Amino acid sequence: MTICQFFLQGRCRFGDRCWNEHPGAGGAGGGRQQQPSGSNRRGWNPSSQRYSSVIQPSSFSKSTPWGGSRDQEKPSFSSDSGASTSRNRGFGLSQNPFASPSSDEQKDEKKLLEGIIKDMEVWESSGQWMFSVYSPVKKKPNISGFTDISPEELRLEYHNYLTSNNLQSYLNSLQQLINQWRNRVNELKNLNTSANIASLSDVKGGVNQAAATFGFGSMQGITFGPPGFPVHNSSSANAQNFSFKPSSGFASAASGSPSVFGNTPAFGAAPPASSAITTSTPTFGFGKPAITSAASFSFKSPAASSFGSPGFSGFPAPMAAGSVGAPAFGSGTSVAGFGNLGSHSHSAFSKSSSDTFGNSSISTSLPVSNGSITTDNVLFTPKDQLTAEELEQFQSKKFTLGKIPLKPPPVELLNI
Amino acid sequence: MSLFGTTSGFGTSGTSMFGSTSTDNHNPMKDIEVTSSPDDSIGCLSFSPPTLPGNFLIAGSWANDVRCWEVQDSGQTIPKAQQMHTGPVLDVCWSDDGSKVFTASCDKTAKMWDLNSNQAIQIAQHDSPVKTIHWIKAPNYSCVMTGSWDKTLKFWDTRSSNPMMVLQLPERCYCADVIYPMAVVATAERGLIVYQLENQPSEFRRIESPLKHQHRCVAIFKDKQNKPTGFALGSIEGRVAIHYINPPNPAKDNFTFKCHRSNGTNTSAPQDIYAVNGIAFHPVHGTLATVGSDGRFSFWDKDARTKLKTSEQLDQPISACCFNHNGNIFAYASSYDWSKGHEFYNPQKKNYIFLRNAAEELKPRNKK
Repeated sequence: MTICQFFLQGRCRFGDRCWNEHPGAGGAGGGRQQQPSGSNRRGWNPSSQRYSSVIQPSSFSKSTPWGGSRDQEKPSFSSDSGASTSRNRGFGLSQNPFASPSSDEQKDEKKLLEGIIKDMEVWESSGQWMFSVYSPVKKKPNISGFTDISPEELRLEYHNYLTSNNLQSYLNSLQQLINQWRNRVNELKNLNTSANIASLSDVKGGVNQAAATFGFGSMQGITFGPPGFPVHNSSSANAQNFSFKPSSGFASAASGSPSVFGNTPAFGAAPPASSAITTSTPTFGFGKPAITSAASFSFKSPAASSFGSPGFSGFPAPMAAGSVGAPAFGSGTSVAGFGNLGSHSHSAFSKSSSDTFGNSSISTSLPVSNGSITTDNVLFTPKDQLTAEELEQFQSKKFTLGKIPLKPPPVELLNI
Repeated sequence: MSLFGTTSGFGTSGTSMFGSTSTDNHNPMKDIEVTSSPDDSIGCLSFSPPTLPGNFLIAGSWANDVRCWEVQDSGQTIPKAQQMHTGPVLDVCWSDDGSKVFTASCDKTAKMWDLNSNQAIQIAQHDSPVKTIHWIKAPNYSCVMTGSWDKTLKFWDTRSSNPMMVLQLPERCYCADVIYPMAVVATAERGLIVYQLENQPSEFRRIESPLKHQHRCVAIFKDKQNKPTGFALGSIEGRVAIHYINPPNPAKDNFTFKCHRSNGTNTSAPQDIYAVNGIAFHPVHGTLATVGSDGRFSFWDKDARTKLKTSEQLDQPISACCFNHNGNIFAYASSYDWSKGHEFYNPQKKNYIFLRNAAEELKPRNKK
């Protein structure tokens, strides 16, 4: 157990109830096996445990970005010692005259991030199974960027490849999975403030969002399909373009493939709008100009994937290379084709909001493709998709109330 | 009832060439080795129910076979029969009367093996490998429950080729356990669902996972009145969560503990963390055993929240474990569980199943 700093200073306000060790006093009580019971005798309250393990000086050095802010926090904690008797540090903070409500949240966030960083370090150094989902706090949803592959699934893949004499592609895909994992872990270890918010949205933003991403990354008919691979390699270049700014991504796609939306300049003109789209409903817009050159991106499987991840600028390059890392490479079935699409989507975005398309149930994605004509999807509607009435509205000087079109105007009618 | 006797006398039962174990560490606990153990990794173990006189052990392996041994009180193991699948066998279970064995395999089917006639017929079909199989015996129905990586849970009357019921899972089924009237299924993406089986199987509750990493194994435990009351869930991160379904005080009653880690008390050096491959509850004492990729097994008392014993380290991971119906025998399988990928896979390495006398070591710490 960790030593209680306050006890050493003679002012631990929890006394016997303290979860940390009071040297001398706590030694006698620790006669029983400490390993399992000591750390959990009071249950595993994640936030409190994080506090106790993080306040130690040794962990200061690990999380130096927080070192400065923590030093400021410490005095503020101790000033509460008389005021608050609750063990919940949150309460202590709220009574802290120095702390405003927003900084409470920030402190929680910081704790969370520190927890994540620590967990990532442990994950890397401990040699534990790497293909696992992860959540920083027990009850919260998974952080995106990690897939769940059980050892049995991986082994089955190995055996299948062995029998089909295709071991090299297994090794390749495995290597990419590993790279993807490593990149994601490094990313999470190096969380800075701007990325914090993005990743925290993973955690806070609703249940099952991140979980859904890799749902179909499952080994459903997983074949690590060789046909998928050369295709992926060629499309990875495109993926790189896609993953940064949507507008540039569009430009590249439009040049290469028969984009539904035709005019490249249209997208060039729309950067502000596109970035707005990435943050709000990132998933829809980018699926359409999907790389048709890559066989994996079959138009039939309408899983549009968001390639924009504003928070993770350094992300996409390695991701593109590792983009095929997501497990579902099978190209035989429609599900598998879907999976191929998703493999790009996995790597390219880290925000959980974008993973509705990673969702394994194809039924959810179908409405997307059908409803893709809605305003959310695209920046401009092709002229042929507008009704005559809507076209008239766009062409008139002013909109008539009651007849305002719900779709965005066609590109052709814009006067810029 | 005769006991196993001291294990020292049986350290080399059967295969005499393993008499000299000076350097190799395949059986540091000097437990009884089962003869003719499978040729590839053992994925699952199951002992016969109390309705069958004697003890019979079933093991499914990655060599596509299911083997049956009779385990005598003297500790001798006699291979009885074997059945084959066309893919590795991931789970096995017995029917309640001990006449049939159900096997689930990567070949997407499950079979029913009639031991008397030594015939096996297919009773289930999935779209992906079948990961779990359990026999459900309810007052008004009996069926086989299969969980698969195709994200469904199917219930089969063994006489019909169509499932009685199909329940959708949020993700691939990774592990499950059944003690009537409760069933627990843990899936990928940290999914956890409890089902109630009275009248007909239905989803009871979806639980937010108490663990932060991938679920690996689950086992239901019972209360003093012999009713299922909660479960133990193990993850790949060397941690087990004890979770009660309706505890009086969830924050205090539910807890997790770390296990199967190296240098446990030394917190400064980075630990090696191993997956928990199996959890089994002693049928009489209610204490539990966990086996992990580190090649150790441990016995725990969840009520006293203490560890009872940890074994020496075997040279291979322990991939499965099981108690017999009266809790006298603890069986554990030493074989590679793929926890370190294909590089560490040695097809030449022998796989073992060990039997240990569990009557004494699993007594709860504090007598009430």
